[in-house]
Amino acid sequence: MSNSVTVVGKSIPRVDAEQKVTGAAKYTCDLALPGMLCGKVLRSPYSHAKILSIDTSKAERVKGVEAVICGRNNPSKLYGVYIRDQSILANDKVRFVGDPVVAIAAVAEDAAEEALSLVEVQYEELQPIFDPEESIEERANLIHEGLDKYVRPDECRAVGGTNICNYVKVRKGDVQKGFKEAFKVYEDRFTTQLMHHCYLEPHAVIADIDSSGSLTLYGSFQAPFMTRAGIANLFQIPVSRVRVITPFVGGGFGGKCTMTLEPIAVSLAMKTGKPIKLIMSRNEDFIASVVRHPAIVYIKTGVNKNGEILAREIKLIWDTGGYADYGPVVAIEAVTAATGPYRVPNVSIDSYCVYTNKPIGGAFRSFGSAQVHWASESQVDIIARDLGIDPVDIRLINAVEEGSSSAVGETLHSVGFNETLREASNAIGWGKRKPSGRGVGVASMIHFTVAFLPSSAIVKVCDDGSVRIYKGAVELGQGTNTILTQIVSEVMGIPVDKISIAPNDTEFVPYDWGTFSSRQTFCSGNAVRFAAEDAKRQLLAVASEKFGVKPDDLICADGKLSVKGEPDRVASFDEIASYSYLNSGPIIGKGSFHLDIVPLDPETGQSPRFIAYYMYATQIAEVEVDEQTGVVKILKLVAAHDVGRAINPLNIKQQIEGGLVMGIGTTLYEELVLDAGNILNATFVDYKVPRAKDIPELVPIIVEAPHREGPFGAKGVGETTLIPTTAAISNAIYDAIGVRIKDLPITPEKIVKARREKHRLDNK
Amino acid sequence: MKHKIKLNVNGKICEVSVKNNQLLVDVIRNELGLTGTKIGCDEGECGVCTVLLDGRPVRSCLQLAVDVKDKKITTIEGIVKNGNLHPLQKAFIQHGAVQCGFCTPGMILSAKALLDNTPHPTVDEVRTAIDGNLCRCTGYARIIKAVLAAAEGSDL
Repeated sequence: MSNSVTVVGKSIPRVDAEQKVTGAAKYTCDLALPGMLCGKVLRSPYSHAKILSIDTSKAERVKGVEAVICGRNNPSKLYGVYIRDQSILANDKVRFVGDPVVAIAAVAEDAAEEALSLVEVQYEELQPIFDPEESIEERANLIHEGLDKYVRPDECRAVGGTNICNYVKVRKGDVQKGFKEAFKVYEDRFTTQLMHHCYLEPHAVIADIDSSGSLTLYGSFQAPFMTRAGIANLFQIPVSRVRVITPFVGGGFGGKCTMTLEPIAVSLAMKTGKPIKLIMSRNEDFIASVVRHPAIVYIKTGVNKNGEILAREIKLIWDTGGYADYGPVVAIEAVTAATGPYRVPNVSIDSYCVYTNKPIGGAFRSFGSAQVHWASESQVDIIARDLGIDPVDIRLINAVEEGSSSAVGETLHSVGFNETLREASNAIGWGKRKPSGRGVGVASMIHFTVAFLPSSAIVKVCDDGSVRIYKGAVELGQGTNTILTQIVSEVMGIPVDKISIAPNDTEFVPYDWGTFSSRQTFCSGNAVRFAAEDAKRQLLAVASEKFGVKPDDLICADGKLSVKGEPDRVASFDEIASYSYLNSGPIIGKGSFHLDIVPLDPETGQSPRFIAYYMYATQIAEVEVDEQTGVVKILKLVAAHDVGRAINPLNIKQQIEGGLVMGIGTTLYEELVLDAGNILNATFVDYKVPRAKDIPELVPIIVEAPHREGPFGAKGVGETTLIPTTAAISNAIYDAIGVRIKDLPITPEKIVKARREKHRLDNK
Repeated sequence: MKHKIKLNVNGKICEVSVKNNQLLVDVIRNELGLTGTKIGCDEGECGVCTVLLDGRPVRSCLQLAVDVKDKKITTIEGIVKNGNLHPLQKAFIQHGAVQCGFCTPGMILSAKALLDNTPHPTVDEVRTAIDGNLCRCTGYARIIKAVLAAAEGSDL
């Protein structure tokens, strides 16, 4: 690991900020192709129903309409990111309010909307199931009767004849023995709500098919290569004939890792032979993209007199809505969060993913970890208070360290957890007494990054000596373009302003699994590092020939190559590059990064290496609660995060602050409210995301526990920053007024009700 | 039925063909090709469609184009002067106030309207000015810092 670096570790401004502040940055909605049509989708008003008939004749006659398609008249192959359970448009039944039924292509939006209003669909309503615990037991009313026959990975434990689409179990040590030996055992039930990502840029896609049948897709995608493979498979087109171009993306947070509008767009493009754009309205995006899985967590923990955790048994129920999407994978990966950042020798986890007739649960920042930690970090607080142990101390007592074992049996490396506890508690002044009505609460976390598939990159030295990076990592606003530029700059010794990033176009950039799981600084960071080293070697080879010295005798810095000890013998990158282009060939470096992962054992849930790396954090909230109204005011949020190594400290702090505020929304304001499967508040008017007036003082702190496999020791941060926030705020509320809420969000009504109940019990 | 109207956009008089029910945001983006102004919701709640009308921030997604024939319309493309970034744009870059960028044009225009009227705002005045502009990426803290920094700079 290099200790003397010049660009890595610097808080340089974002390399794409100027395009964004001038309005020049293009997103999918800003693009237009000649002759482009507009697409609209008619969606089911019922949460569970059979489709009896569809009459599109009136819609087809609307002036300007070029195609009207439905699944019933043309049943499609099934697709899905893990279990293939979705059809492009509903084939025979609908499974949630918003399920797409008919799609229309027209020359203008108003023609498409008029046509939509003239489609007549006859439904026969079926009994819907909304309660996931009811759905787990249900054997007669099945949401997916064909579950058994769906194409899915071998390891997927879907249970035919039920609504359970995956089941994962972890058995480590002996929990019953652990509970027997415990001084006390705590059992609690926690729940989380239906939530939306609310990226500011709604889903958008353009599909364009040419006369040879080659397809180009433009879209707001987090995983262009997954989209490419998914579409190729679904429409039986060779992957090499599907091109995916991803402009700037206006936020993802996990909501853009799966196909939403793409299959519909491609179908309409194929039907009309013309390019077509579909953009979700905000209302449509709330209802018909993906949401965060509501979770029910049963958590049972046994501790000894000193507060050491001896055993933990946890049951997780993930409500994945009408289609599985990433639900089964959340059910798998979230088990690694179930013991928190603590040493727990005896572990039993049962994790169920279950269908209901509600919006589709998909990937959402932290992939289940936030829901698990809401429960586990609230319970640690319950235990600490009951035993009379300081909540920070109890975490220090149980903390994992370098070499500890994870919930799934891996040996942990790069563990900055203790330092996050110390930094956060110092920053808030932990232990000082607060005035009445105020409280402080602490919560910590461990979070997983997965790297099942690789990232690759190409670094080209252009003939003018500038450097171009070709990579598939998507700039969602998390700063990956800047980070990767800094890494290349550091490796090659070339200034940042001489480096640019090529458009994200699968025609030119090499394979990248996708931008999620806080993996890109690590995975694409390594890929560009290897590619840059390769390009540098080629440069040095050319320069060594030109100077007549060995490559080892050359220094590469400031965009120049010079002979060691002979500073007059120097050439700039562009001199060497143009020499190379004319005499030996272009300078193109390539690099690829992958890890060998072992899947979880189906019986024990153990593996020597399942997760790429873990990140750690501690957050502390200071709140003030109005006991009459139940309104919570957050005064301060301190967040200390172990990121391995901060390639760009400003970037880390930006991500921490953004996540903290999303965490505030998760805790106090946000909930998609359902009535018989219908979302009542699918608008920003009634789904409350935090605004500028809602934010408290935010104190982001960087902790570094370098990872030996990370570029310059770096891990990641983006997913983690809202994980401990809910429990930290809830624990602070308890500290302030002695009331604990176990069901998110923590609304004023819940606090007032709980306070009244507490008074009633106290006065008994 | 479309008919021709003249709009004053970023100091230029533009002749456009519009329907009576056509929204200003649609005309700006599609007829004039100024895509810096965005659409984020359908009801004037998120602020990404913010433009200035005679210096006042308004939701162009709730504004009919035919109703603003006599107003001076300013979009994000119009605040660069002689190729130089506006102090707010510079401050947003320097102070880490930009992440995905989708809220940025509307955010900057709301801030500009504030600073044009209140050259030295308090923190609370900044928060109030941008309270109608949602951001999901940044947590607002550095946006507020950037606006205050731009206010402190003397070349407004």
